[in-house]
Amino acid sequence: MSPWRWLLLVLLLFAACVAGTVIGTIRLPLSVIWDGVRGVGDPNSMMVIRNLRLPRVSLAVLVGAGLGVSGAALQGTMRNPLAEPYLLGVSGGAAVGAVMATSLGIGAALLPLAAFVGAIVAVLAAFFVAHAAGSRGDPRVLLMAGVVVGAFANAAIMVLLANAEPNAVRNALWWMMGSVGEATWSQTGWLALYLLIGGGALVVVGREIDVLALGEEAAAGLGLDVDTAIRRVFLVASLVAAATVAAAGLVGFVGLVVPHIVRAAGIRRHRALLIGSALAGATLVVCADLLGRVLRPPAELPLGAVTALIGVPFFLAKLRRLT
Amino acid sequence: MFRSIAFALLASVAPVACRQAESSRHVDTALRDDFGASIRIPATPPQRIVSLNPATTEILFAIGAGPRVVGRSQYDEFLKPARAVPNLGPALRPNVEAILGAHPDLVLLHAGAENEAAAGRLRQAGIAVVALRIDRIEQFERDARLIGRLTRDSVPATILVDTIAATLARVRAATAGMPRPTVFMHAWERPLIAIGGGSFLNQLVDIAGARNVYEDLPQPSAVVTLEDVIRRNPDYVMVSPAAAPALRSSERWQALPAVRAGRLLIYDTLVVGRPSVTLGEGAVSLARLLHPGSVH
Repeated sequence: MSPWRWLLLVLLLFAACVAGTVIGTIRLPLSVIWDGVRGVGDPNSMMVIRNLRLPRVSLAVLVGAGLGVSGAALQGTMRNPLAEPYLLGVSGGAAVGAVMATSLGIGAALLPLAAFVGAIVAVLAAFFVAHAAGSRGDPRVLLMAGVVVGAFANAAIMVLLANAEPNAVRNALWWMMGSVGEATWSQTGWLALYLLIGGGALVVVGREIDVLALGEEAAAGLGLDVDTAIRRVFLVASLVAAATVAAAGLVGFVGLVVPHIVRAAGIRRHRALLIGSALAGATLVVCADLLGRVLRPPAELPLGAVTALIGVPFFLAKLRRLT
Repeated sequence: MFRSIAFALLASVAPVACRQAESSRHVDTALRDDFGASIRIPATPPQRIVSLNPATTEILFAIGAGPRVVGRSQYDEFLKPARAVPNLGPALRPNVEAILGAHPDLVLLHAGAENEAAAGRLRQAGIAVVALRIDRIEQFERDARLIGRLTRDSVPATILVDTIAATLARVRAATAGMPRPTVFMHAWERPLIAIGGGSFLNQLVDIAGARNVYEDLPQPSAVVTLEDVIRRNPDYVMVSPAAAPALRSSERWQALPAVRAGRLLIYDTLVVGRPSVTLGEGAVSLARLLHPGSVH
């Protein structure tokens, strides 16, 4: 891909971040916002910028980047355009963790941890199911195992919510709709560190994903241990997605749609595709969060709803081109 | 203890309440509940009452009809004697079979859309059902009088309503000449929910000598954003004891000047939480928070 397209991706993300910082319920002049970013000037405006808007935009960037990277890695490895972390049980497992935490009355502070643990348990369960079914080298079995685990998670959520307190139901539903509105710096810091390690690991094995994308026989012919490579990518990509889910709840469609957009822009190699998907995913989530904030003030639309509303037309267009 | 607030909030999607005609004293068939169903005052007072709403359960006990209550919802736990009544489960989408099993001759339901199906089925079974919505003080007064007529306890019901009205008038008079600070009433954190102009809490705060920054919202409660709260810049944040520590320690809430300055008013959820017999007490406790020394 030409350097101009990379520049465009970076500029789009930058523009989205600026818009996300500048636009909000409270109208602030640009000079005040710039002062706020630098930490000078009126303390009230500074706090709005530094404690609310900047952490929020930063978390949106990280969540979008994580989901984009995770989706791109899984689609390449599984050679399936529908593969995405949420399809593989991550979202279902995280939701079970979150619902259990809320219905057991565990404090809100521990909800992300519960969601993360739930996601890991679900991913491991999918692994176990696929292994028991003898998935050696066949990503389709892993995919189906993920779908089965997700279906079981849905059933568990219904059982838990059916008899839960209204408060617990409300908390759980709100979490499932996804939001970056409660972002804090410590949260974004942890997620950034985590994504740097996980996303970095995926970029490092980007060449392996290129080989896997050729098909398992071709990959084996090229000397790759296909089974181990698939599992490695599956595990790391799921963990990256799980971390974003723990931080922001369920933000659907990003992991599915973003890699398609980036591939449509002409990026094929996985190292570039992963980085491109991170940039595009971040832009998408920052824009979706901004839309959710301005469409129906003073309330907000849930982030997961907005990303789905944006993602569905993209995917429909993609389908039309396929048929 | 926040259950009733949550209950009131959760039930905020109900059909428009039908106003009870005051001239209905002579023509009982003109009496209608908040589902629009006509209410018949029975020839003999009901002996087995199921009440699935904390507010109506409290009214029943306050007017002396408590011994005739044979079923309550899982939320009706504020009164000690009410706790001894069999718990029939949820107040929204109630368990119809459990209600039938209590063999009631009168069922009081919350008039929320979730309860319409249950009300229909109970009526089909030949049971008198009265669905009431209590968001505002006027609705409490109307419903307390109505319940008094239904159970033949009109005199204690009138005394109850008049006592509360007198307390509210006393609090209003005591805070009348005082400066009126603005307050944000925090009802829930995830999502952030504010008490709006349609709630009895908005009225109580007004009576107690302050102004709700969300009084322009017609609903009893609504989802809002922290940035919008900051834009409205309340003098005080009214918050439940359970939610206060999280607000104080949150770096996001520090962006609100009232929180930064420590101007949190922690209200007693046991007396302020529901539009019922504690309305007078609730107004007194809020006035003491907002204007210390104003009410004795």
